[in-house]
Amino acid sequence: MINGISSLITSSQLANIAQNTTQSVAVETTLKSIGRPGFILIDKDIDADTKQYAAAKEFLYQATCLAVYMALIVPIFKKGGFKLAKNVIFKDTKGFEHFKDVKEYMHYRKLAENPSVKNRMSTLNKEILSEGKLVKEKYDDTLLAELEKKEPDKFDYVKGAVELSNIVGSVLGLAILAPQVSHAFIHPALRFLGLEDKSKKQNAAENKKLDHTA
Amino acid sequence: MAFNEFIQRTCKKLGENNKPTYVVMAIAAVKGICRPLFTMMDTTESPETKKYTALREGLTEAIAIPAYWACGELAGKMAKRMFSDKGLAKRAEKNMMFIGVCAAALFVIPGVCSAVIKPMMDAIGLKAPDQKHAPKPAENPQLTVITPANNRLTKLTSPYTSMHAFQNRPQSGLRVGGL
Repeated sequence: MINGISSLITSSQLANIAQNTTQSVAVETTLKSIGRPGFILIDKDIDADTKQYAAAKEFLYQATCLAVYMALIVPIFKKGGFKLAKNVIFKDTKGFEHFKDVKEYMHYRKLAENPSVKNRMSTLNKEILSEGKLVKEKYDDTLLAELEKKEPDKFDYVKGAVELSNIVGSVLGLAILAPQVSHAFIHPALRFLGLEDKSKKQNAAENKKLDHTA
Repeated sequence: MAFNEFIQRTCKKLGENNKPTYVVMAIAAVKGICRPLFTMMDTTESPETKKYTALREGLTEAIAIPAYWACGELAGKMAKRMFSDKGLAKRAEKNMMFIGVCAAALFVIPGVCSAVIKPMMDAIGLKAPDQKHAPKPAENPQLTVITPANNRLTKLTSPYTSMHAFQNRPQSGLRVGGL
């Protein structure tokens, strides 16, 4: 039991998730979609119908946030942030020119984090791309020389640029875009589940109409 | 160029150690400002409901920011003490910080919010809009019969003159269109 816990705490895979903004935000949003509705359901001060409605609404909100985040924010900001950093912010800094995109950099970083030089090089010699080429062929001489060092340069600022872009994307996506999308999606979904009356929507529309005409 | 340098320094720091607390705290801070703003801009809700919901949302995020920070940092510090090996301790610190943030999202924040927000709202004097005890509208207002007594009451309480008070309104005989 204790061994299991300590191996979880020192797991390199968990460390990769913890250091990756998109993965950690996705895990955290999933947990929120369980925790928040759960706490609403165990609240004794609210009546059963309201509890069911509020829990479903909270769950749908978090689920929409996760879907918007994964579908829109992750690909746009990950790629866009890398390009912006490469061509504008770190234009005169060495390092970015070795990598065409984020995928190539992350592959290099994963190898560089392996403490054994022998394991690094044997992995690199084995891996084949989908078009039949060796991954090694994509690496330039500088990167191959770095990988043969005991402590290779990990080009931290490249990862930092990707992570900063992901943080900006996460904030914009989860705090501004996702609530707007979920607002449009949640009420039809709740009506479909039979948790919200159609008349409520009609009343709201009538009120809105009156507000505008008044 | 100072902005570029600032971004470069931030990128370097984030590349070396991207703490899981950074992103969740940033999201909570922006949510704490934007969610109440969006709620207040909603035209379909009553002002009282909007005020209550916006304050509740703002308080939730205000609780979330220190909770994320405290849970992450405490868990990280605890992990550092558990391992004597420097490399393992560093990895354990990162992992435990992430586990701390997850625990904050799963139990700590919803738990603290459940325990704290309601008494705080009561102390401020804001009550949750109770829809169950709200007066129900008439089921079919078009069929309401207006008796002379009702008419007189409207005249006394309403500041506006009712259309039934006009003298040229037919007072007897055949009434067309349900008037």
